[in-house]
Amino acid sequence: MAGNITESRKMKITTKLGLLFAGMIIVFILLGVTLLAQMRLVSNGYDALLASPVRDIDAARVVQVNFKKEVQEWKDTLLRGHKPADLAKYGKQFREQEAAVRAGAVALSRTVEDQEAHKLLVQFIAADDVMSAKYKRAYDVYVAGNADFKAADALVRGQDRAPTDLFDKVVQRLEARVKSTVAAQQLSVRRNQSLALGISAGLLSLLGLLGFLTVRSIVRRLAALRNVSRRLANADVEGLSIDISGKDEIGEFGESMKGVRAAIEELLHVAQALSRAA
Amino acid sequence: MAAKLTEFYAQASSQYGVMGRMKLAMLTKIPSEKAGNEPDSPDNIKLFQQAMHQLKQAA
Repeated sequence: MAGNITESRKMKITTKLGLLFAGMIIVFILLGVTLLAQMRLVSNGYDALLASPVRDIDAARVVQVNFKKEVQEWKDTLLRGHKPADLAKYGKQFREQEAAVRAGAVALSRTVEDQEAHKLLVQFIAADDVMSAKYKRAYDVYVAGNADFKAADALVRGQDRAPTDLFDKVVQRLEARVKSTVAAQQLSVRRNQSLALGISAGLLSLLGLLGFLTVRSIVRRLAALRNVSRRLANADVEGLSIDISGKDEIGEFGESMKGVRAAIEELLHVAQALSRAA
Repeated sequence: MAAKLTEFYAQASSQYGVMGRMKLAMLTKIPSEKAGNEPDSPDNIKLFQQAMHQLKQAA
């Protein structure tokens, strides 16, 4: 500790203050860089979240809505397809929704990363195939029976239940994945925030401590210098000790004071000698 | 006893008067009373020689 104080006194006050200022700038640059890195980390995390889990759940909801439309179109076909034009219209809309569901489910099963969701999607596609075959047969019965919707409906009643349940499970599974990914991301952000705060607090505390020690050292030595200066101003050199060392500005001033003390002592000595002679 | 250092004071006194003694004390930081107790070390002698040289230049 004493060695450090001696070393610090070898440094000019302007150098010390310059170093402190430079230290502050470096600390703030480090804090800025840390903050930028933090923001990039958070941004990357949310980009990854948007790139996969959120994209999957969005696609799944589209398929879910299309499936409900497909079932609705089937009902419209049975209920309103009495006329050939209406039959053609609703039949076409049903087939379009059927194709959209099929394409959406297959595309999602190819891109989805979650294994459980993929398994459920494969089961849904198989169940949808079965349902489509039954709808096709029921449609033929409906057309052959002159819009006998009861016979057609009897063939497919409740057939949409299995694929509906399966796809609801897909959506639930993907929603849970989004929630868990968001929670993990939030935890990661909180951890990084704590780390950044800890580093910032540590660096600022260190800088504050160094500043405090430097200022305290300067103030103490200035106070000693002021006491010496007051005594010299009164020519009070009896037992005056000038213990202000160091190679900085205060140390140099202390050395000059030693010369002044010696000069006053010499003058007093001469004055005493003259008094004795008189 | 520091005979040589005391001699410097005598020299300064004779050549430059009281002002010379005072300046010698200021430059060496050793007043004449203390000079009598200081050793005639090479460093001290060199210090006084340099101070005397400065006095001579300033005169």
